[in-house]
Amino acid sequence: MKKFNITDFSIRWGFLIVMGVLFTVFSLLQPAFLSAGNLFNILLSVCIFGTMALGETFVLITDGMDLSIGSTAALSVMISAYLMVVLEWGGFATILMVLFIGVVVGLFIGFLIVKVKIPDLLATLGMMFLVQGLQYIPSGGLSIGRGAVIKNGREAMGQFSEGFKYLGQGRILKVIPVPVLIMIGVAIIVYVILSKTKFGRIFYAIGGNPEAARLVGVNVNKYKVIAYVSSSFIASLAGILLAARVGRGDVGSQGTLLMDAIGAALIGFAVLGARKPNPFGTIIGAIFIGMLMNGLTMLSMQYFWQDFIKGSVLVAALAFTFGISKKHG
Amino acid sequence: MDREPIVQVKNIGMSFGATRALDNVDFNFYPGELLALVGANGAGKSTLIKIICGYHSGYEGRIIVANREVDLNSPKEAYDFGIQTVHQIINQGVIQSMTVAENLALEEMLSPDQPVVYNYPAIRRRAGEIANLMDLNYLDLDVPVFTIPQSDRQMICIARALASDPKLLILDEPTSSISDKEADRLFTKLLKLRDSGVSIVYVSHRLHEITRLADRVGVLRDGKVAGELVKPFSVQNIVHSMVGDIEQNPVRKKDSKINKSVVKLELQDLVFQEGKPPLNLKLYEGEVIGLTGLIGAGKSELAAVLFGADKPFSGRMFVNGEFYEPSCIRAAIDNGIFMVPEDRNNNAVFPEFNILQNINIPFLGMFTNSISVLSKRKERKEAARMIKAMTVKCESEESPVLSLSGGNQQKVIVARWLMVESNLVILDEPFQGVDVKSRREIGQYLRDNIGKSTAIVIATDLDEVIDISDRIVVFNHGVMVGEQEAGSIDKERLIQLTSGTLEEILN
Repeated sequence: MKKFNITDFSIRWGFLIVMGVLFTVFSLLQPAFLSAGNLFNILLSVCIFGTMALGETFVLITDGMDLSIGSTAALSVMISAYLMVVLEWGGFATILMVLFIGVVVGLFIGFLIVKVKIPDLLATLGMMFLVQGLQYIPSGGLSIGRGAVIKNGREAMGQFSEGFKYLGQGRILKVIPVPVLIMIGVAIIVYVILSKTKFGRIFYAIGGNPEAARLVGVNVNKYKVIAYVSSSFIASLAGILLAARVGRGDVGSQGTLLMDAIGAALIGFAVLGARKPNPFGTIIGAIFIGMLMNGLTMLSMQYFWQDFIKGSVLVAALAFTFGISKKHG
Repeated sequence: MDREPIVQVKNIGMSFGATRALDNVDFNFYPGELLALVGANGAGKSTLIKIICGYHSGYEGRIIVANREVDLNSPKEAYDFGIQTVHQIINQGVIQSMTVAENLALEEMLSPDQPVVYNYPAIRRRAGEIANLMDLNYLDLDVPVFTIPQSDRQMICIARALASDPKLLILDEPTSSISDKEADRLFTKLLKLRDSGVSIVYVSHRLHEITRLADRVGVLRDGKVAGELVKPFSVQNIVHSMVGDIEQNPVRKKDSKINKSVVKLELQDLVFQEGKPPLNLKLYEGEVIGLTGLIGAGKSELAAVLFGADKPFSGRMFVNGEFYEPSCIRAAIDNGIFMVPEDRNNNAVFPEFNILQNINIPFLGMFTNSISVLSKRKERKEAARMIKAMTVKCESEESPVLSLSGGNQQKVIVARWLMVESNLVILDEPFQGVDVKSRREIGQYLRDNIGKSTAIVIATDLDEVIDISDRIVVFNHGVMVGEQEAGSIDKERLIQLTSGTLEEILN
């Protein structure tokens, strides 16, 4: 082992130490912060964009960027509502259909990038608008809830199934929120795939040097498509969680989901000095954002500060990752 | 000579790390003279040119332009002294997305004297004049440069250099990507330019061009001036001064490991470049073939076909007697055909990966369980075995690959493909940017472990192929023009085969 080096140490542990210090400060200043209920609230507040960020991680690893995940999640919300409330489908069939549509969106993005050769940023930006617009069409631009009047003047008589709503609102043992467990489950699966399997190694190889990857026999295009499909699939799963929590189909529910998800994944670069997208860092990044927002709100921060603070954290984490570590590495 | 040199370089030296690229080099460049600069790869030609054109600062020695000592620190400074250079890598000289006209008149377009409002018709007019200098009137001025062939891009660069009225014009391998007809046109222009008083430095591996064009030949060998030849010169005496007297015909015993009864790879009437004659070649078990030839001779094109990256135009390939037709690179790998590509940094190294990950990447399936999870233990074991076998100098198998020296990085890349048994390993320029010691070690390991496989080592540098091969195959303009067996190598003949014109060689 090399001898102790303060720069190495801070690159590796700096972010987690800052997080720990913040956690302690919040707990001391506001004891209610530390209650189990509040801690689960934090996790609950991050589980939608945190899940999406895990999908985005696939794409970031292959050196791409998916800007459409917020819209895809919002589309899933509307489709869930439309299928159950208007068409009166069951919860299970709805979930399958929504996930299927997520896969189709991902395949289409992959097609645009790999076959039509649109640069990924532009392709997914275009798809962001397209999918965002698509969500309004089935309901004629209106939110969908029980009793809503849809297009032909007929009242929608269906409703969200209880099982479906359980995914967003349920609590195991009356404490642990189901969507949090789902996020943790997704995180574990994504972690194993990206960090432990040969597929993860290949994704990282493509991100590191696509030409070299091609020359060791990797079908680069296939893996890129898989990355975008994973990202869209997980985004549509996050959309299901959101629809289940709200219990209705609100238009425009993408809100700040995209930026929060990408922010979490990018903050993840700084965790354990990874300097690259990684699932563990992504989930820590998401929790960090949630903790910060929750703690500051409890200390009476006004809502309009939120975006500014999230942005500052992101810029600081990136400066730390690329500024210090690069010079050092 | 009583003429005044337009540019003089005196006692020029340059080191890159431990490598001495140039040492105590003197040259005078006279107006109205074409000086050809020759030398093997790594002899220092490019370094010298880059110093004169202001690209390398931090050289030793003096540069004198028109009797005044100058300090060249940037290409702009050299340019202001009337030194114009056309570099070998054409695509660095053109802006792909701009039109032919804009590229031709690039200097005018970017000049601070241009009016604020962009006047395309004026640029286009000027471009027409510049095109005229090289008889390029057939070019469509309004199409983007990426749509026209390499050879036309090269001609654009040359025309642009001529347009600036250079005092010293340096051309680095200007004919490597243009046709013979275009080359003829270029030569006519160059001679005319020389007669008008311009000093020209012409770098080429194609010696027959040099005998035709040059007034004087400067020879570089191992970073030093190995001689200056004046007219009349023949390909023969140029070759002789490039090679030197020492180690004329290095003797390497023919290896007994070759098993001529087993043909590993057979090429039957293979056409791998459009319009070229078919190639027939057999590679035997345990044999290391050295494939040499100048840039553009078709070496890498053959490698691409063997490795499944390109499709042949016609003909058939057999591996172990079985018909072989790879649909993609993966198919080639599955057939036991591996390739260490040229240009390690761009094509082989995964910069963010550690040594182990860089070695194991093509064969991850070897290390996984039934659900594709990698076994760290198995990965470590194999990587450590290869690191030891190839004497890679590193702290551990999990050190970052970029922490290694160039030679050791190359060992890692070679180790990647020698880890499992193969039918054929192609190594494309495996010794570029590799120190001599590492080169010997890689070569030794390859020879010792060739086993039942066979290898093709592609190298432009003759010393490298002579060092490693049981048999040397020479390509020239896409045609196999000769082969020599280890033990009876004639280096001068090899240089003639690589550098001569096809008519000279085949008749």
